[in-house]
Amino acid sequence: MEREIRIDPVTRVEGHGKITLHLDKKGDVRDARFHVTELRGFEEFCVGRTVWEMPALTARICGICPVSHILASARAGDAILAVRVPDAAHLLRRLMNLGQLVQSHALSFFYLSAPDLFLGWASDPAKRNVLGLAEARGDLTRKGIRLRAFGQETIERLGGKRIHPAWAVPGGVSRPLGRADRDWIASQVPEALDTIRTTLRLFKETFSTAEECTVLGDFPSLYVGLVTDDGAWEHYGGVLRVVDAKGKPLVDGLDPARYEDVIGEAAEPWSYLKFPFYRPLGYPKGMYRVGPLGRLNVCDRFGTPEADAELEEFRARGSGRSGRVFDYHYARLIEILASLEQMKTVLEDERLLTPRVRAEAGINAEVGVGVHEAPRGTLIHHYWVDPNGVVTAANLIVSTGHNNLAMNRSILEIARRTIKDGAFDEGILNRIEGGIRAFDPCLSCSVHALGRLPLEVEVVGPEGAVVQTLVRD
Amino acid sequence: MDLVIGIGNLLRRDDGIGPRVAEALRVSPSVSACAVCELVPELVLRLRDARRVLFVDADARGTDVRLGRVRDEGSRWGHTLGPEGLLELAARAFGSAPDAWVLSVPGFDFGYGEGLSDRAEGFVPQAVERASRWLSEGQVSADGA
Repeated sequence: MEREIRIDPVTRVEGHGKITLHLDKKGDVRDARFHVTELRGFEEFCVGRTVWEMPALTARICGICPVSHILASARAGDAILAVRVPDAAHLLRRLMNLGQLVQSHALSFFYLSAPDLFLGWASDPAKRNVLGLAEARGDLTRKGIRLRAFGQETIERLGGKRIHPAWAVPGGVSRPLGRADRDWIASQVPEALDTIRTTLRLFKETFSTAEECTVLGDFPSLYVGLVTDDGAWEHYGGVLRVVDAKGKPLVDGLDPARYEDVIGEAAEPWSYLKFPFYRPLGYPKGMYRVGPLGRLNVCDRFGTPEADAELEEFRARGSGRSGRVFDYHYARLIEILASLEQMKTVLEDERLLTPRVRAEAGINAEVGVGVHEAPRGTLIHHYWVDPNGVVTAANLIVSTGHNNLAMNRSILEIARRTIKDGAFDEGILNRIEGGIRAFDPCLSCSVHALGRLPLEVEVVGPEGAVVQTLVRD
Repeated sequence: MDLVIGIGNLLRRDDGIGPRVAEALRVSPSVSACAVCELVPELVLRLRDARRVLFVDADARGTDVRLGRVRDEGSRWGHTLGPEGLLELAARAFGSAPDAWVLSVPGFDFGYGEGLSDRAEGFVPQAVERASRWLSEGQVSADGA
């Protein structure tokens, strides 16, 4: 008899999802699916609001990544106003996104994944959390808490509050940065750098064998991300690059506004999360990955000394471009280091304190695309507006969605490797969840296509058998 | 230093009563107050510097304003973080946690929207008075103790 194993809910991720594992008659894994079971629907109810409202409105998509949505939305608004955003505003937005990368990556690593990594995949589930981590690794926990607090405080000093700061607007930002706040942020960077250096060292010492690093799956895919015009790591602005599994560029220098040339979107009846794919290869062959590992695999270099040294070592350990899902954790730590180094550079730029931070204009274009790199990967906001700036349609391709095919591939690999003859235990199921956790998905950010997804409803009888299946294509 | 933490979402009607009370308190050099949507691990950095802490939170089942100690019942660490878990994290990460109390204020409407219901609004003066008394008294007894 065929069986189904459910992991519901998937824990230590943002949002709500479940995993189903489908076993054949022998008890081996036939298929694995990651279902995102919540729906937010922002693409629909943004319609009818003005482009000026969009940053504050779309910020409410998420309590973890509001900064990402604010910045992508503001950039789409910049395109619709067709204005030259003041240099100070670009620098301030860049600084906020660096703070966002630090705080979000710190949350993912120290709070959500470090319990698995440093307490063990099969350790007592009652202690496999940040509280257990504090007991076993007090110093690491303290450093992680302080690092995330620094990233959050940076956002608050810039935007007035940590969550949902209605600060970036079409044309710039709503207020400049004061010298005292600039100096405070700068004063905290050395401690944050010390924390990430220590953590990187610990991570590399702890996970040094190939076996440990392939535990969450190792497979080839394409990678997508922003890079600077000359190929360096980029998170705000830049051009889109797509590389193959070996790092060879398939698309380079693409204007992000033309993302539809290379990215298509598919849907499945068992998840509210869309399945973006690389259009030239079709669906589902066009699987690609974004986020920390994607960005490290698309860029030629970081452009800062310590992160570049780490990137060189990362590639030496992984024999070039890594396909290992586990390396998302490693890449996340390197990106924190890079973000802190870049913060130093931005903070030393005197243009940062210039009071002119916003360009005003009316509606000068009917379409605007804002693309930037959120902690979890490339984030796309695409708006169509009428002559008054009222949104008539919106398309949001959120970082987590890009990784949907790869997340499903990851859990299938882990499940096939660990479940044989139908036998499994809690530690194995946690490892499968860990395959999702490594991507750090933000599910509440990513589910918006109300009315456009096919839907499958199963009516299950009291004995557990499926009585009826209803399908909407 | 005494710390008051108002917990609640201002967009879910009476859930915002904790922040409302915290912001109404008169702070001084020896008193710090803040409002948060939910408790997060970073708050242990503020607990570390506090001698006492008062959590102010809406109580969906409450009928009156009540002050009580945060009870040490062992952590139930899950998707949400409560005062007990936060205190335990402070103790494990930094070696100690402050004397902790919770002020529960009745709430009746937790639907979407800003502003308190009339019934919850009626409890705000009493809650502010009780929190102020907690701040001015060095030794406090729990209600009903």
